[in-house]
Amino acid sequence: MKPRSLSPEAEVGFQIAPMIDVVFVILVFFMALAAQIRIEHSLQTTLPGVAVAGGPTPLVDEQLIQIDATGEVRLNDEALDTIDSVHLPQLRATMLRLKESADAAKSTVVVTVIGHPDSAYGRTIEVLNVLAAAGIRQVTFTTEEES
Amino acid sequence: MASMGGGADGDPEFQIAPMIDVLLVLLIFFMSIAATAVTRYDPSIALPVAPDAAKKEDSEGELVFNVAWHAAQSEAWVTFEETRLDPADLEGVLAQRLKAQPGARVLVRSDAATPVRHVQAIVAAAAAAGVAEVTFAARIR
Repeated sequence: MKPRSLSPEAEVGFQIAPMIDVVFVILVFFMALAAQIRIEHSLQTTLPGVAVAGGPTPLVDEQLIQIDATGEVRLNDEALDTIDSVHLPQLRATMLRLKESADAAKSTVVVTVIGHPDSAYGRTIEVLNVLAAAGIRQVTFTTEEES
Repeated sequence: MASMGGGADGDPEFQIAPMIDVLLVLLIFFMSIAATAVTRYDPSIALPVAPDAAKKEDSEGELVFNVAWHAAQSEAWVTFEETRLDPADLEGVLAQRLKAQPGARVLVRSDAATPVRHVQAIVAAAAAAGVAEVTFAARIR
């Protein structure tokens, strides 16, 4: 069989139109994908680690926040907000005061949040949100031991 | 003052080269914001609301754990890099990743209704593996 050969005139050059078509399709695909991405925010906690010896020991004001199974919030065993109070006004006011007094005393507020294992994660986030609003950065998070 | 308008001879023609430049820039922009987010984030998760949460500045070195709560079965499914994990395997997976990525931090994305014990399992595994920072994803509204 005789092999087919292209004449010099029939040589295929670079075609810009199909390239633009393809780029447009890819662009529309990624634009549609990007439209579904929701911007997320985050609340940070610092887990207890190994203390570095040698430096000065900072003054620490330690607080304990407990969340029970119903969503009631307690600060150092004192009941503050019930499940009905979504924005935790009492806890917010108390934590803001604590942060102000700790700043004045040049000490660090360290908060441990202890959630009941069956409490909703959303309630813990509401508590962490209050701590973020008060400017408290040293937060650890744990759950009560199950008996 | 010279006029900015083009005469009959000076009519601007459609220029293909700058259009391709702009197209490619747009393409790279959308690829960069879409690619990583889509592979790591489970869109079915209803995140809790935290109006005072900080905007994430950097996703570098983040190990994303998705916790989907299935109320009908009373089960929480923990997924990491599109693989469902058993709670007992969490620490091993984290320790392995931390060896390769020493400064890694954990991001927990969980449904608001998830019982907190399932999230705490991830936090405990992170602490045991030596991760110092754990962040919780939230929506601001």
